[in-house]
Amino acid sequence: MIPVPDLNLLVLLPIALVAIGSMVILMGEILLSRADTVLGREVTESFIGTVLAATAIFFLALTLYTSVVSFAAGGVQVFNPDHPMYQLDPFSSLVTAVVALSALLSCALSIAYLSELRINHGEYYALIMLSASGMMLMVAAVDLIAVFLGLELMSIPIYVLAGFDRRKLRSNESALKYFLIGSFASAILLYGMALLYGVSGGTSFDAIRAGFEVENPIAVVGLGLVVVGFAFKISMVPFHQWTPDVYEGAPSAVTAFMSVTVKVAAFAALIRLLAMAFGPLDESLENIFWVLSVLTIVVGNVMAIIQENVKRMLAYSSIAHSGYLMIGLVTGTIQGYSAMLFYLIAYTFMNLGAFGVVVALANRGNDCERIASFAGLARTRPGLSALMVLFMLSLAGIPGTAGFMGKFQIFMAAVNSGEIWLLIIGVLMSVVSVYYYLRIPVLMYMKEPGDESHRMEISSGEGAVLVFCALAVIALGLFPNSVPTLLFGDLDVLNWTRRSVEMFFGG
Amino acid sequence: MLPLDHVIGLSAILFTIGVLGVATRRNLIVILMSIELMLNAANLAFVGFNRIWSQVEGVPAIDGHVFVLMVIAVAAAEVAVGLGILLSMFRNRDSVNVEEVNLLKW
Repeated sequence: MIPVPDLNLLVLLPIALVAIGSMVILMGEILLSRADTVLGREVTESFIGTVLAATAIFFLALTLYTSVVSFAAGGVQVFNPDHPMYQLDPFSSLVTAVVALSALLSCALSIAYLSELRINHGEYYALIMLSASGMMLMVAAVDLIAVFLGLELMSIPIYVLAGFDRRKLRSNESALKYFLIGSFASAILLYGMALLYGVSGGTSFDAIRAGFEVENPIAVVGLGLVVVGFAFKISMVPFHQWTPDVYEGAPSAVTAFMSVTVKVAAFAALIRLLAMAFGPLDESLENIFWVLSVLTIVVGNVMAIIQENVKRMLAYSSIAHSGYLMIGLVTGTIQGYSAMLFYLIAYTFMNLGAFGVVVALANRGNDCERIASFAGLARTRPGLSALMVLFMLSLAGIPGTAGFMGKFQIFMAAVNSGEIWLLIIGVLMSVVSVYYYLRIPVLMYMKEPGDESHRMEISSGEGAVLVFCALAVIALGLFPNSVPTLLFGDLDVLNWTRRSVEMFFGG
Repeated sequence: MLPLDHVIGLSAILFTIGVLGVATRRNLIVILMSIELMLNAANLAFVGFNRIWSQVEGVPAIDGHVFVLMVIAVAAAEVAVGLGILLSMFRNRDSVNVEEVNLLKW
């Protein structure tokens, strides 16, 4: 008889809820589109869209709740103790919660936008949730098999989402580029994993940690290929060329989703892999990260200056933010990792907000993309303009916003581990970035309106998301430490991030 | 018995051919095939390493084999999506040449 392992099914709850939710949406769309009336209401395309989005938001909210509960409980839980693959601990619970929250916000952001672009299909929400479940698997993995499966489950739905507006050539092209680069990167990553398996004889992080030796060239090549595979996903220079093309061509709501969640998940998984499977970083790897981090910051910021398209500009800015985040990898300290996590949370809200404004301006099937089309917007859409200013200030890192607090944490970590040059380059390039971020507020408030036609009304979903992001940006910027709130007890993000990375250092 | 060097050498050669194919070929279908070649090179390496490790430890080690099965499933899903994207592109443009994919740049 085969012995039944002692399985801990509750551990799978967050990821299972998302996966079940996506199946419910797929079935729901078929059932709804066959019915004429539901509960006395006529079934129209926008009604189906709203119902499916509400379902997605419901399941993502449940996931958010369960992961917050598991974070509050602390402790390490694995699904199968005999062969750990999926492990819920403070780090993975926190990142799962962030991913669930940003997927939830993206769904709310997309409802009106999809009708505006006439691509209101239910698969959209199912794909977003499938992708989110892949991210959750990837950040909770303690085995290379789970990392690879999670990475692919994250990426494949996003290839489809990038090409979701399939009658538009730009959307096709974006999907095709993302697919080719993404699958090329996964193949490289997989070969790296094969080499790591070869030197250690196991695929779990513990086995790799035991078998990895810096003297062994095969092990070093394996680690290098794995890092290159992740470098494509986090758009680290010189593996960044796809980012602006894909971000520009994909529908704006999809860009909003993938620009934040993929970055959060890939960085979190990379931190986890490096900390759990390779321990303290080797000196030479640190030096490589140092050079790449500087290159990423410089290329991202300099290329963003010359862009005339908002989505492209935000794409290069996201490359620059990857560079700042990599400073945390260079330090490799508990402070560096927790600063990265804080920065990722701050980045989620400010970038989602900035893309949210672009989404809310999309009109009659067209995205509001050119920077010039923001001229004089403050006259016609004062509320949206004010929000856009806030998000731009935060991305630029002006004090009082989440972006400043994130950069401050990262630079503090750099100073404490003696990386003075990284600090100097980072601060100088932040000054450069103020130029291109502030171009949009200047155009909005100081120029005459052009002949662009913007959407004049904002849907309740978009409004709620933008206001939520704005409040989060301000709250993270002003109170990174301990604020008593009515709803959640103590809001103490800095402490949360520190608590989650402590486990990598035997805490 | 086939020595490990030969297996890993073959897989490295296949992987290199795949990388070169992605980098130099202009036909999207051939690029897709090159990516498949890279994935299968990794599979070959997994199987080869697994064979050695199962002899060393004396107990049947199956991590590599399990990984290969997962990769085969994932590769099938990836190709399905990739061909779908390619088809929707082909319908709009009547071409599978990667050099004509040039609306988005700089």
